[in-house]
Parts: sequence; structure tokens; C-alpha cells
Amino acid sequence: MTDVSIKVTDLTLRFPVYGVDAKSLKKNLARVTVGGRLGASTTGATEVTALSHLNLNLRAGDRLGLIGHNGSGKTTLLRALSGAYEPDEGQIEVRGRIAALLDLSLGIDPSATGVDNIRLRGRIAGMSSKEIEDKMDEIAEFSGLGPFLAMPMKTYSAGMQARLAFAVATAVEADVLLMDEWISVGDADFQKLAHRRLLNLVERAGILVLSSHDAGLLRLYCNKVMRLEGGVASEVKDIRRLDELLAAA
Amino acid sequence: MESGQHMLRTGRRGTLFEFSMALRDLVTSYHRRGLAWSLAWHDVVSRYRGSILGPFWITISMGLMVLGIGLLYAKLFGISVAEFMPYVAMGIVFFGLMAGTINEGCDTFVQASSMLSQTSLPMFTFIWRTVLRNLINLAHHAVIIVAVIIFFGLWRVMDVFPALGGLLLTIVNLAWISMLAAIASARFRDIPQFVMSVMQFAIFMTPVFWKPDAFPDRHAFLTLNPFYHMLTTIRAPLLGQEADGLSYVILAIMAVLGWALTFSVFAITRRRIVHFL
Ligand SMILES: Nc1ncnc2c1ncn2[C@@H]1O[C@H](COP(=O)(O)OP(=O)(O)OP(=O)(O)O)[C@@H](O)[C@H]1O
Ligand SMILES: [Mg+2]
Repeated sequence: MTDVSIKVTDLTLRFPVYGVDAKSLKKNLARVTVGGRLGASTTGATEVTALSHLNLNLRAGDRLGLIGHNGSGKTTLLRALSGAYEPDEGQIEVRGRIAALLDLSLGIDPSATGVDNIRLRGRIAGMSSKEIEDKMDEIAEFSGLGPFLAMPMKTYSAGMQARLAFAVATAVEADVLLMDEWISVGDADFQKLAHRRLLNLVERAGILVLSSHDAGLLRLYCNKVMRLEGGVASEVKDIRRLDELLAAA
Repeated sequence: MESGQHMLRTGRRGTLFEFSMALRDLVTSYHRRGLAWSLAWHDVVSRYRGSILGPFWITISMGLMVLGIGLLYAKLFGISVAEFMPYVAMGIVFFGLMAGTINEGCDTFVQASSMLSQTSLPMFTFIWRTVLRNLINLAHHAVIIVAVIIFFGLWRVMDVFPALGGLLLTIVNLAWISMLAAIASARFRDIPQFVMSVMQFAIFMTPVFWKPDAFPDRHAFLTLNPFYHMLTTIRAPLLGQEADGLSYVILAIMAVLGWALTFSVFAITRRRIVHFL
């Protein structure tokens, strides 16, 4: 895979907010009978603009750190990059196999064993059953969970869950790794292992996009950084200018 | 768009474009049918984890209902058990498939919300998951059907192919109804309750437990009930009777119109479904 790339042009993403009450059919029908006045407010429904006119170009070897206040749009951008959202305007194009580590509980069945969850998550991540069985030993070893893999996931601590999720997600021969915040859950040993895997990924000419509030973590993993503020992105800067971006707050 | 290697999402609009994207979703779900199957299988396994009989518990409760109702109603209606028991058995099992697929359709997207909001998985995958899960359940309950067929010697008179045809048409129809329920329930939280009420009503309005002999052939009460056609095209041939050809025609027309409607609704709402959740 030589032409791994992320290309985001003029991306605007809005969340229509369907009020809890509006989710009741009764109310909507009532609105229809009332007609015009309220109908107008239906078309101009409440919306949150999570990202606006965002441009981003990343090439193989780029490790981008995302910073910004709570609610600035980091998670939304990562989700959009994973292909979950259709843009309201603009375009997202990602070349390469994507592995998204956004929510630890994705495809996790708490009452199933670790091994079953590896299978489930692997299937969701796009691996075939055979691929998963082939990699099972490697994943199991990397997770370092040993006998716990035969136990239901609900008996795991947050860090143990993170290990499993990370082990599966990075077992996919991914070119683009999207990570949201959580990597700090692991202990020092795990961080070291994760670090090696991430470097490995980058050596394979992959792309990493990592969102974090932890400047140290960003310095460790990223070579570029971008700041989001209210859905508006700064320029992509070299990681050495992280302080500048942080100061701009 | 979705080779696993290339992901493209655009803000482009236009009816034709929305339809082509919806079609893409369908095609991708077909390429990744193994995933729908794994998810469905996982659902069945996980629901009954730690239970020895698993889905057969439902089979057993259905079997008891078949025995009880078969014996009681045969007496009440003055019909022979040999005639009534297989009739009720098939009625309960196949109506179970219909009710299950439609009722669980309401949860399809709601349940998949975390996956939908962080992956580019096709939405159709989750529709197939619900349908396949119900087919897996049906495969367990088929034990009851096989039992009555053997016990009452129906294998001598039954006609398998029209029944399979009926089953296929039924599944195709159930799939769109299930999908429509999935989309509607994602947006309007009253829909699941509504659907459940309709299905509860339908089980009594459809000749599941009773024989439609009191009605003249093609009476509107039956003809206007889609579940009647689904049930009769599967059940009649298995009982060694012939289902009215009209029922097959109605099911076929319903399948075409229903899918046209559902697919259009999907094409229009596809972008927003993830935001509904
Ligand atoms: N599903 C949703 N529905 C409506 N609004 C949403 C949804 N998800 C996010 N938002 C809004 O989008 C904006 C960006 O949220 P996002 O989760 O991307 O922030 P973030 O930068 O990841 O914040 P944090 O640092 O807290 O994780 C916020 O204003 C939030 O309210
Ligand atoms: Mg976030």
C-alpha cells in the first residue's frame, strides 16, 4: 500500500438534534395538524455544527495529534474519518485500510469471553474468520491477558479492556489508525508495547490520527498537530510547535 | 467506494446520487455477508449463553403451546387432532418467524448505534443480521414441524416446493417490513410499541389458531391480511393442500412494491439514520 492518504476538503458536519420530546410520534403528528407556524421550525430544526469547513491532507508517515477543548470536534472528526458520518458539505476521502479505536466498547459483548470478543471485534474490523484464527495467538499474546481471555469481558478492568481492544484493532493490517484519547488507560508495560506497535505501523508507512489532552502523549506519538476550536481547525503544524498551539487557547 | 481500501464520503446531494449510495450500501453488505452472519450467530449464542438448551427453550415452549392448543381447540371446534395439531404447529412456528423478524426489526439500528457511529459498515448488514437471526431461530423450531410431519404422516401428502416458494416470498417481504420498522423506530421511539401492538393483534386476526372455513374463499378479511398470505403459502402445501395462487401473486406484488418503498425511504434517510440514534 503505497498511496495511503487522508484527504478532507471543506468538510462541514452538523448534528441535527432531535429533541427527546420530538422523538415522540404523537408530538410530530400534532405538529402536522397545527401546520405552518410550527412546520417552519421543523425545517429549521436545531443543529449543532461540530465541524466547519475543515481541510486536512495527510500522507504516509504522518502522525497527527488533535488538540482542542471539550466539544471542539475531535471525536467527531475521528468518527467522520472512520466513515461513520456523511458530510453535510465537502468530502472525506481515505485511502488505505482503516482501524478505528474510538470507543472501547465497540462490538464488545460483556458476557462473552475475551476470545469470543476478539473474534467479534475482528469480524467487525473486516478480518475474515480465518485471518482471525491465524492471528489469535498473536493477539492473545500481545494483549497479555493470558487466562483472562477465557473469562467474560465483564470481569475485565478498563485497562484490560483497552489492551484487548488495542490488540485486535492493531492486528488488522491497518494503514490508517484512528485513536481517541483512551490510550492512557493502559499501564506502563502496555504503553511500551503499544508504543512499539504504533511505531511499527508508522514504519509500514501508515497514518495515525490521535486525539488527546495530554501534551506528553502527543509528543511521544505524533509528528504533527492540529488544533480544533468550535469545529474550526487550525493549520497543521509540526509537533515542535505544540506549545504555540496550546498557548493560542 | 468501500473496497476496504478506499473510503469516500461526500456532501453531494441529488436524488439519483442518494439512490446510488443506497445501492452501494446494499452491494457492500452483500460482499460482507459473512459479517451479518457472524453477528446473527453471535446474537443467538450470546442470548442463551450458559443455558443448556439454548434456543430450544423457545422451541419447547412453542411445542407445549402446540400440544395444548392443538388438543384443546380440536375438542372445542370439533376437529380431529390429526387435522388440527399440525395446522396449529405450523401456524405458531411460522407466525413466530414473522412476529420475531418484524418486532426485532425495531431494534436493528438502535442496537447497532455504537457500531454505526464509528465504522463505515453498511447499514444493510444490520438488517440481514436481524433476518438471519430469526432464520436461525426458525431452524431450531423446525424440529416441531418435522415432528408433526412425521407423527401425522404428512410426508406422504405434503408438497415441499410450493412451501419453500412461500417461505422465500415471506422472507423477502419480512425483510422489507423489518427494515422499514428499523428506520422508523430509529427516528420515532413510539414505533416499537406500535409495531408490537399490531403484531399482537395480527396473531389473532390471522388464521394461526383457527381455521378460516367460516369465511368464503377470498373473503376480504383474509385477502387484505398480508400475514394470511404468508402463512397459507407455507402451511397449506405442507399439509398436503393447495394454496390459492392468488396468495403467491399478492406476496410477489407486495415484495416488489414494499422493497421499492423501503429502498426509497432508506435512500432518503440514509445520511441521517446515524443521527437519529
Ligand atoms: N451525536 C451527537 N449529537 C449531537 N451533537 C453532538 C453529537 N456528537 C457530538 N456532538 C456535538 O459536537 C461537538 C463536538 O463534539 P466532539 O465529541 O467531537 O468533541 P471532542 O472534541 O471530542 O470533545 P472531548 O474533548 O470532550 O472528547 C460538541 O458540541 C457536541 O455537543
Ligand atoms: Mg472526544
